[in-house]
Amino acid sequence: MPTIQARGLTKRFGADVVAVDHLDFDALPGGVTGFLGPNGAGKTTTLRMLLGLVTPTSGSVLIDGHRYRDLPNPTMRVGAVLEASGFHPARTARNHLKLIAKVAGLPFSRVDECLDLVGLSEAGDRAVGGFSMGMRQRLELARAMLGKPDILVLDEPANGLDPQGIAWLRDFLKLYASEGATQHGGGRIVIVSSHLLSEAQLIVDDVIVLTAGRLAAQGRLQDLLAGSKRSVRVRTPDAARLVQALHDAKLPALERDGYVVCEGVTPETVAPIMVENRIAVYEMGSSTESLESLFFALTGGEGMQIGQAAPQTGDYRRFNDGPQAPPAAPSHSPGSVGGQR
Amino acid sequence: MTRLLNAEIRKLWTIWSTLVIFAILVVIDLAFGFGLALAPGGRHGGTAGIVPHGSSQWFVNVFSVLDVSRLLALVLGVLIITGEYRHKTVTPTFLAEPRRGRIVMAKSGVGFGAGVLLGALTMLTGLVLGLVLVSMKIHSCLTPVGVAQGMSLAVCSAHHGAYYVATTHNMWHEWSRIAPGVVLGTGLFAIYGLGLGALLKNQIVAIVVGLVFTLVVESIIGAIWPTIGEYLPGQAATALEDAARTNFGGGTTQLLPWWGGAIMLLIYGIALAFLGTSTTLRSDIT
Repeated sequence: MPTIQARGLTKRFGADVVAVDHLDFDALPGGVTGFLGPNGAGKTTTLRMLLGLVTPTSGSVLIDGHRYRDLPNPTMRVGAVLEASGFHPARTARNHLKLIAKVAGLPFSRVDECLDLVGLSEAGDRAVGGFSMGMRQRLELARAMLGKPDILVLDEPANGLDPQGIAWLRDFLKLYASEGATQHGGGRIVIVSSHLLSEAQLIVDDVIVLTAGRLAAQGRLQDLLAGSKRSVRVRTPDAARLVQALHDAKLPALERDGYVVCEGVTPETVAPIMVENRIAVYEMGSSTESLESLFFALTGGEGMQIGQAAPQTGDYRRFNDGPQAPPAAPSHSPGSVGGQR
Repeated sequence: MTRLLNAEIRKLWTIWSTLVIFAILVVIDLAFGFGLALAPGGRHGGTAGIVPHGSSQWFVNVFSVLDVSRLLALVLGVLIITGEYRHKTVTPTFLAEPRRGRIVMAKSGVGFGAGVLLGALTMLTGLVLGLVLVSMKIHSCLTPVGVAQGMSLAVCSAHHGAYYVATTHNMWHEWSRIAPGVVLGTGLFAIYGLGLGALLKNQIVAIVVGLVFTLVVESIIGAIWPTIGEYLPGQAATALEDAARTNFGGGTTQLLPWWGGAIMLLIYGIALAFLGTSTTLRSDIT
């Protein structure tokens, strides 16, 4: 059973940039581990330290207790899909893979299998220079899969893939991680870094959340979400009165986009207050937190701009304008009073 | 190590730039060789500034073009290592073999082999050039022996301005006498280029530095301080090629013995590659 352990992992660039700061984490086999964090949180640097491409300033990240560069034939243990990895534009996809197969001592038939796996059999003899972003990404995955590794590391793998490609990758990674897994553990380690939280939520079992190079949270996604806040959203003609009533009950309520939103409560708390105050209800919904809002809470919302509704004209938030309130909207279903997702 | 060597050989022949370098060598050798040999005016001779056919200077001009193999080997050596950085293939390369020193060793071996091929190719092209010139009978003094001697003269004297003293040698003897030095020197020059590439990492910078140093800086240093000049890579290669310079009189530039040239070249290549491996190549791949 493979293990990955980071202890005190630190990377400084120059005198004052600390990309990764005393990071401790464990990646577990059998499921997909999401490596999440805003841009510049240190995700890519951490993964590159794991892969021996970047040397840690201090601390270590070990694969089965060994540094990557001490693995005798790393292609057979660890597969990596990296963003900034390159291809010689004049070399064909098949030749690109054959080079790695040669170094790893793998038969060339494995190259054909991997090209077939990612759907590049037909394009295998074309020069990579003419490949689309998505095809390059799939070629990277084919390279990572050459040695049938029990550890897969993917840095932003969804970049450049079309929706079908993303869906395919999701199913593939889930299956690959769980193969060989039993109730007693086992399976493979699959680490996926991503800034697409809605996408990550569909695929990850465990999360490691980084912010500013530090560990913000780690654990099973289910557990993290279960321990997180709930909220209730109400559409009413008497919004101001409802907010006042909730405030009187010492509940944090605010009005947003024509809805009254109350964090940290369930409809069971809000409904009696509304009845008591004779406030009409058009619509009511509740939600547990999404990964996205959990993420905002953990990272203080730094630099995240994804999935927001288009702002009004002239009302754009600047890139670093501090936290935006967690978007609660997506998980509410209108009219389903008390309904939970 | 065998796997790494095989992979590095495959890397070279799966891209066309390698083949282009070999093609450039043949084209330059033949085009410039014939161009210089058949340049108008020479046939009549006598005019100031025009080199008569069959003269020692004519031989030097025609066959000195063979020296381009050395510069192309330098470029090839640089490309072998800097190409990985330029196209970012260094990431998959280092993922598959994280011990970077071993990669440089494999690349040096393959670079040496490619350089040896370039040297062999230039000697073959030179032979073809000479034989064709002989068969064209453009001048009475163009005998096989004369051509062969011209070739060896050119290789040796292009650098140190020796003048040709005719000796009667068998053509094959002349040719085979200079061939090993040219082949070995070209191979070692590829390692020198590779070391330069490992140290500088940037493709354009490494090529420019290598060519400017070999073509300009070395000549200047050689002219001012000949005792230092003879230890520089270009002169070391010349010494290696000029293994039997006793056949030619009047050399004005000092050269090391041929084995000294070989050792100096090897030292340059290994020292630069080692320095590059322990500094530039250790840096983070981001």
